[in-house]
Amino acid sequence: MQELDIVKPASVAEAVSLHGGAVGARYLAGGTDLVPNMRRGLQKSRKLVDITGIEELRQIAFENGALRIGAGVTLEALCASDLVRRHAPLLALAASQVAGPTHRAAATLGGNLMQDTRCYFYNQSDFWRTANEYCMKAEGTICRVAPSSSRCWASYCGDVAPAMLVLGAEVDISGPTGNRREPLAALYADDGLQHLKLGPGDLLVSVEVPAQSGWTAGYEKVRVRGTIDFPLAGIAVAIKREGNRIADLRVACTGVNAYPGLVPNLEAWRGKEPDEAFFAALEKAVRKEIQPMESTLTAAGYRKRVALGLARKLVGELFESAGA
Amino acid sequence: MNTKPSKGVGQRMPLYDGVEKVTGRAKYTADLFPRDALVGRIYRSPLPHAELIEVDVSAARSLPGVVAVITGADCDIPYGILPIAQNEFPLARDRVRYFGEPVAAVAAVDEETAERALKLIRLHVRELPIIDSIAKARAPDAALLHDKKPGNIEREVHNEFGDTAAGFAAADLVREQTYHAAEVNHAQMEPHAAFAAWEPEREQLTLHTCSMVPYYVHKKVAQCLGIDTAQVRVIKPYVGGAFGARVETLNFEIIVSLLARAARGAVRMQLTREESMLTHRGRPESETRVKLGMTRDGRITACECEVVQRGGAYAGYGIITILYAGALLNGIYDVKNVKYDGYRVYTNTPPCGAMRGHGTVNTRVAFESLMTSMAAELDLDPIEVRRRNRIPGPSVTPNGLRVESYGLPQCLDKVEEASGWRQLRGKLPKWKGIGMACSHFVSGSAKPVHFTGEPHATIVLKLDFDGGISILSGAADVGQGSTTIVAQVVVEVLGVDWRRVRVITNDSAVTPKDNGSYSSRVTFMVGNATLDAAQKLKQVLVEAAARRLQVEPDQVECLGESFHVLGDPSRAVSFSDATAEALVDTGTLHVKGTFTCPIEFQGGKHRGGAVGSTMGFSYAAQVVEVSVDPVTCRVSVDKIWAALDCGFAINPLAVEGQIQGGVFMGMGQGLSEQTRYENGKMSAANFLDYGFPTMAETPPIEVFIVESIDPNGPFGAKEASEGPLAGFPAALADAVRDATGLEFHEWPLTPERIAKAMEAREREQRAAARKTVRQPATAGAA
Repeated sequence: MQELDIVKPASVAEAVSLHGGAVGARYLAGGTDLVPNMRRGLQKSRKLVDITGIEELRQIAFENGALRIGAGVTLEALCASDLVRRHAPLLALAASQVAGPTHRAAATLGGNLMQDTRCYFYNQSDFWRTANEYCMKAEGTICRVAPSSSRCWASYCGDVAPAMLVLGAEVDISGPTGNRREPLAALYADDGLQHLKLGPGDLLVSVEVPAQSGWTAGYEKVRVRGTIDFPLAGIAVAIKREGNRIADLRVACTGVNAYPGLVPNLEAWRGKEPDEAFFAALEKAVRKEIQPMESTLTAAGYRKRVALGLARKLVGELFESAGA
Repeated sequence: MNTKPSKGVGQRMPLYDGVEKVTGRAKYTADLFPRDALVGRIYRSPLPHAELIEVDVSAARSLPGVVAVITGADCDIPYGILPIAQNEFPLARDRVRYFGEPVAAVAAVDEETAERALKLIRLHVRELPIIDSIAKARAPDAALLHDKKPGNIEREVHNEFGDTAAGFAAADLVREQTYHAAEVNHAQMEPHAAFAAWEPEREQLTLHTCSMVPYYVHKKVAQCLGIDTAQVRVIKPYVGGAFGARVETLNFEIIVSLLARAARGAVRMQLTREESMLTHRGRPESETRVKLGMTRDGRITACECEVVQRGGAYAGYGIITILYAGALLNGIYDVKNVKYDGYRVYTNTPPCGAMRGHGTVNTRVAFESLMTSMAAELDLDPIEVRRRNRIPGPSVTPNGLRVESYGLPQCLDKVEEASGWRQLRGKLPKWKGIGMACSHFVSGSAKPVHFTGEPHATIVLKLDFDGGISILSGAADVGQGSTTIVAQVVVEVLGVDWRRVRVITNDSAVTPKDNGSYSSRVTFMVGNATLDAAQKLKQVLVEAAARRLQVEPDQVECLGESFHVLGDPSRAVSFSDATAEALVDTGTLHVKGTFTCPIEFQGGKHRGGAVGSTMGFSYAAQVVEVSVDPVTCRVSVDKIWAALDCGFAINPLAVEGQIQGGVFMGMGQGLSEQTRYENGKMSAANFLDYGFPTMAETPPIEVFIVESIDPNGPFGAKEASEGPLAGFPAALADAVRDATGLEFHEWPLTPERIAKAMEAREREQRAAARKTVRQPATAGAA
């Protein structure tokens, strides 16, 4: 691994200033995503701004009906937080499914929301990638998943983002050009190479999540093993029920696109009963939203199948439990 | 010190070195690297198959900080575990045959320099066709990996015992099925590591390495360096798991030694996880066609089996593996007519080797699966069918293997009762199922790989002025507990206080040679050698005590820490006084114990008949309960009941651990583990993608120990580690069939594989429904 210049600021302002939008500089928190990638030569950063000493990034608060969670809160702390468990238990549920316990002790919310996209041809050693002529995401020119395509098909595999999306989260970002707040969904782009719409030196400071009250919500991911693995497909659902009808419904997917995304146009089902026509339409909507490619060792067809199956199952189960 | 004799065997006690290991105090090879040693790194082939025209290391050699660079030109002596099949060079010469094969190596002052040097090495090659599957290797016009190996066949085995044609003719039901098992890797926790120090003044080499077979490493390193074995010293520190990954000399062990000599100093080498997995020697992918004949009441009348193994690029243990795959068709059930055809195939993949259950696992999985499937067809209970095929008593199998103790029926009783089999089989709710299978394994190969005429095991007990007993053992403890076992045997025989005993292991300059930790030979053979040594030392001490007590030796009773005159406890000498007396005139005592398997146990007379020969088989039965998720198609193992006949449990706690570990490893192979190749390039060589199970998938494993007291094992003991593995994949598939109605002939049973089968069934059902609608008149006519 390369020699590193590591600085450790004490405040957000100092962090942004130390980073300064310099080419090759990176913020470092838990390092569970960045460091393995650096070891494999996927990230050539020489300057790291270690943000784990910034107190402000580790706060969790509840005010005005919303949770405010610092980007530096570890996933372990997020899972254990009484505030989170009371006001947005879905987040704790999703965070508890990230990787394994030792990862969660170090990994942070910000790192998880912004983790690099993943692909079988990308997450390999330098030796392997050299022997396989690289890919467009690192040092190569073509996408090995779809060689005739002009884009990169690496997929986003975070577990917390879809949960945040269905709860309507917003993010606060500080950067050399100032501070801004935007919906979490606006942070992401449909591009395996550049899946984050961040300017140079932008730092995710915190996430604001409206309280979950009124919604019945769940998250499930599919993976070969019951822990450690990234989602082959993950589905978050939040649903409101009135009598036998759906009052509101949000569904978000992960692991099946370059970004975590909300399934669009579900508003049309407000006020309707979840009959077989609804579930068929739901499957159709999810099918239209997702585009898993052969970027994992498990075939894309399986990932599509389980994404649809999970969406149907979760919506059905949550609708039932919302009526209970 | 204790006044009563200490108990040694039969005791549930933590492993001798267990606390060091779990607290992190134990030092493994990489922990012992001298700080001033050079860093050794290997340049590996980026191609699965190519002719080497030139390996240009000139730029690497002239990089400041690089001390030595070696290539295939530096060693023209091939090596290999079997004397008759040595076709591998430590660094490739003329041709590379698998992705990741070592081509050159550098020793540099630090890691960054070594890394940069590797980047400067240039390869000029002519690419050759990539033969990465059994089908490609056996194609009529296939490129050949090795000269004189037509058809890319490393070894064919053909034998028939009894009369299978007559056997099938006598059967009421004959069925045949082909089963496919993916290649798996040991995935041991500790990546490979070694360091070698060449002493230029004395022209001697000291090698520290993570081996299971330091003796073979010793021989092969000397051979490839062209030096006398006397110039080599091999030390094996703690090893973090092995499972067969290190049961032959590995290329990096020779390379680091060559580098040390070239650099005239010490070189350390730590392989990455990817490099460790590329070094491989795992269980080969195999196609197993089994044909069984069965009578209406479940008796097997004949067995025919054809196995094809994708062996990888070099011989390794291949000949033994393909022989094992046939030999252990025998020895578990009473089958008189057995025909076997085996083909070991060369391919451009990393060489396979001897992984836990060596050669026998995929054959057993196939056999058990077909046996259960046929039982179902005959409406017989699979456990009952196994009882009906039990071996009646001490006997010799058709292929000349001796069965002296046989606890399989008791194993079946245990798991049947504990699991509630009779209440659950076929009666669990939808998506839940229960299945079973059996397995067995040898307690050491009765004929060693290298025949020398020496005893099969030797142990030395050293006793000196201090009264401490040093057990000098060459047995390689790789986590299985051999160090603990020898200590337990010595304490049992002598009755001495535990604090008097030390075990010194695996330093070729100090400890006696041991063949190594393979084929589950250590407890049986080294255990017996230890027993012999301890009894001899006891005799020496009893005679010394008798002199002090002025009685005849047969008048002396040994109480461990003291020796009494029989019937008169007031006349006694302490252990220390007995030791002092024993040392008079002779000084330091070295008492040696040995063990050799008698010739009648060394297998049949046919070619390859020594493989599978042993003095005792372990036997296992297991029941597995599963749930299958209808949406994700993921199989969860909810509970395992495993029973093992290990003869006698010298340490029941350790035996339980071995059974759990063996079952767990079988679970990995059954559920999710497999190596993957992309155009012949191993591409899941990391612990994220390889997919062995974690604690999250590990259900409660209820373990039962059956003690059949083998007449030849130390205190009746047999092996306890490899036998329980092979039953799992078959029991798993059986349980999944009980849960889903789908029969699988391929492993691992990944969610993807189950989803495909469920989709195929859904398609068939839809097609059938359409047909029914169109042709209502004929529907249900059957």
